[in-house]
Amino acid sequence: MADFHGWRGRRLRLDMTNLTYVIEKLPMEHYTKWVGGRGLNSDVIYHETTLGMDPLDPAAPLCFGSGPLAGTFAPLSGRTTVSALSPMTSSVMGMDIHGHGDTNMGGAFGPAMKYAGYDQIIVKGKAAKPTWVVIDGDRVEFRDAGHLWGLGSKKTTIKILEELDNPDVRVACIGPAGENLVKFACVINNMSAAGGRTGMGCVMGSKNLKAIAVFGDKPITVAEPEKFMKQCWDLRDRIHNSPSAIRRHAEGSMDLFDVGNAIGINAYKNAFAGYMPRIEEVYGGLQWAQKFLFRRKGCWSCPVSCGRYTLIKEGKWAGYHCGGPEMESNCNLGCRIASYDLAGVNVLCGVVNDLGMDSISCGAALSWTMECFEKGYLTEEDTGGIRLEWADIETSLKVADMIAHREGFGDLLAGGNVRIANKLNKGLDCVPHCRGLEHISVDPRITMGFSLGYAMSTRGSDHLKNYSCLEFPGCAKSRAYQIEEIFGAEGAEKFWEDFPKEMTELDTKPVLCTWSEKNKCVADLVSCCCQAIGSWGGAGSWKEAYYPLFKLITGTDMNDDDLFKAAERVVNIERAVWLRSGSGIQDDTHVDRFFDEGVVDGPFKGKKLDREKWAWAQQAYYKCHGWDEYGFITPEKAKDLGLDEIIPDMEKGKEICKEWLKSDKQPTTPVFIPESFRK
Amino acid sequence: MALKEEKVIVVDADKCTGCHSCEMACSIKHFGKNHSYLSRIRIQEFRDVHTFVPVICQACEDAPCVKVCPMNARVRLDSGAVVTQDDKCIGCRACTYTCPFGASVVNPENGKTMSCDLCMGDELGPWCVKACTMQKALKFVRAQDAARAKGRDMARLIAEDLMPPKQDEDEFSFSFSC
Repeated sequence: MADFHGWRGRRLRLDMTNLTYVIEKLPMEHYTKWVGGRGLNSDVIYHETTLGMDPLDPAAPLCFGSGPLAGTFAPLSGRTTVSALSPMTSSVMGMDIHGHGDTNMGGAFGPAMKYAGYDQIIVKGKAAKPTWVVIDGDRVEFRDAGHLWGLGSKKTTIKILEELDNPDVRVACIGPAGENLVKFACVINNMSAAGGRTGMGCVMGSKNLKAIAVFGDKPITVAEPEKFMKQCWDLRDRIHNSPSAIRRHAEGSMDLFDVGNAIGINAYKNAFAGYMPRIEEVYGGLQWAQKFLFRRKGCWSCPVSCGRYTLIKEGKWAGYHCGGPEMESNCNLGCRIASYDLAGVNVLCGVVNDLGMDSISCGAALSWTMECFEKGYLTEEDTGGIRLEWADIETSLKVADMIAHREGFGDLLAGGNVRIANKLNKGLDCVPHCRGLEHISVDPRITMGFSLGYAMSTRGSDHLKNYSCLEFPGCAKSRAYQIEEIFGAEGAEKFWEDFPKEMTELDTKPVLCTWSEKNKCVADLVSCCCQAIGSWGGAGSWKEAYYPLFKLITGTDMNDDDLFKAAERVVNIERAVWLRSGSGIQDDTHVDRFFDEGVVDGPFKGKKLDREKWAWAQQAYYKCHGWDEYGFITPEKAKDLGLDEIIPDMEKGKEICKEWLKSDKQPTTPVFIPESFRK
Repeated sequence: MALKEEKVIVVDADKCTGCHSCEMACSIKHFGKNHSYLSRIRIQEFRDVHTFVPVICQACEDAPCVKVCPMNARVRLDSGAVVTQDDKCIGCRACTYTCPFGASVVNPENGKTMSCDLCMGDELGPWCVKACTMQKALKFVRAQDAARAKGRDMARLIAEDLMPPKQDEDEFSFSFSC
């Protein structure tokens, strides 16, 4: 067996039904193909699930994956990917179609997995009663979780730390939301670091698995220690001296409020308004830090420590303290429900996190209800007497708790917006989503890269798949050399010609998104932070930041193109999970409302999506990937990526797709599908 | 008598974010591998209240570990660092019992004890301090400056009561510009 450096060469399979486990050794070829973290997981999700499988089926796998750099001196390397079939997502063809789901969390769970000697943990089966698992290196123990069931994520973690009496233990757990199978429940590790999106906590709950506690004493070796150390310092120095990193350290991700609002892209009133007045006065990073910052919070081995720990110092909520929030939490549980009461919003973020719910989808559920009340779609009769008005934090807190415990109206909201709108047949036009997952705070009518990214994302609407931050003028200017790398000399010239209006046009976005998607994926593969090569970007691109570290720690003979190609393979296999169920072009789109209704205020007032242009962008994006006009992976592309086994699935999926498009079936929510495909 | 030239590592726990970069730096510097157990600095976590205390050898002037060591293996170097001499250490761990900080730890590879050697004069300085550049929870300063930052912070609390009200400097700039 080859000597592994960086990688552990092993994965752990937990069978929750029989409470047994198996340690598997993995060959080097497996790592060359899937690299780590998200890649290892995505392989399992495609190959160990079947078409039509229910994500909550005991046989469906739930994977925790970490990459070769996790748990080392490499900066920014504390990330972990959690993957499963997503119970949250759906297709416009029907609610029972689920695709690939994954979520990337900070904290320290991945590093602890590595110290225990595993690159990946795969959970299958369903325990007869609530259970938690202790992994101490090669020793695995299943314990009764009766006393933990019902507890929030923070209390669960504290109890486990006390029980094991070992401060080095890292815990990933679910809150009440996961136990009660709320579709957008999340996995929380290290007290408050959330793996938020796509409902991974729901899958964990369906296995009756309350928590995994992991630790171990196996040091991670390095293929070329001297060079690796030098490279780590080199990157650390770059980060220490990067103005954007220093700002991120000072203000946390809340620095994006100021930047975001300057270009009018923060969600306000259920993400359809597009601009929130006075946002920078209330939500700005510095204001937040002055009022609420108790202490910064760092993921494993990260010098930036953009995480926050909040303490409310005065007013009604004085004395409340909690981990977080991130900018997205504050925005989706604050701006999105139109609240200017930042103290209250912070409390809401803390509570939602502790209940173990995705703050984005939870904010979306609350704001959907609020908009439906405003428009008269919903009345107290539908909600059991609860009335949710814009900016009502008190009631929001109550409803959040009802969602997590699936009480009353909360039981409906726990299914996610698209499901509830379809069930009630109300407010279908008030759901900003792609593939059943609600949009984050950035308005898809303004920044076209994010817009295209939402629609093309392999896990449903989300910015963290096609993380095309280079479209933002500030990012593009500070990383101009990357523009040339992506577009070539000629393309770059065109890019700068239209700059900065370029951000709002689709023309360059298919190319940019395709590149950004792989750029982000490399970060997930090696278990490093995408923000460092994305939003604040002080580390450069994947090529400068992560490839050299990856090469030096593993001693692999993969060159940079091989790594980039591995990223492409991972993106393709994730998409293939959707494609085999027939979900292609009809889901790569936005809801009608973004094409019909303009942004209500701000610098981009009146801007909306253009149907013709969108149809062009879809095709251009497919072309960049080498897919066909329905968005399906062609046999040539599959062979090129070494994914020959998916070819029959793609053919069958394409038939389903074509059949649906030709039928007169209506999509579950009104979305734009190019006319020519529906004939 | 001349002032001491030696530099010491000063800890400001309030600034620690619990990222463990220092542990990773120490571990790889001394062992070429990555694990907290191989680090001479350890972050003690109080996670429920998000408070972290870096624990590292304070190189006490009158070091109990030096006194207690039956083999005289604990010695003070010219740099001021107090270290274990591996060839003399018998791994009895007496220094771990007597250290008031719990900063003398067992090297899990050979069973002998280890503590901060200030990276033996490495050109980058102590690696843990450099890894903490942004947080500044660790600083490497001359011994007489060890209390300076803390002293000034505490003094500011007193001074705020004694200070005149804040004024807008621009408003009164005429007195300097004319």
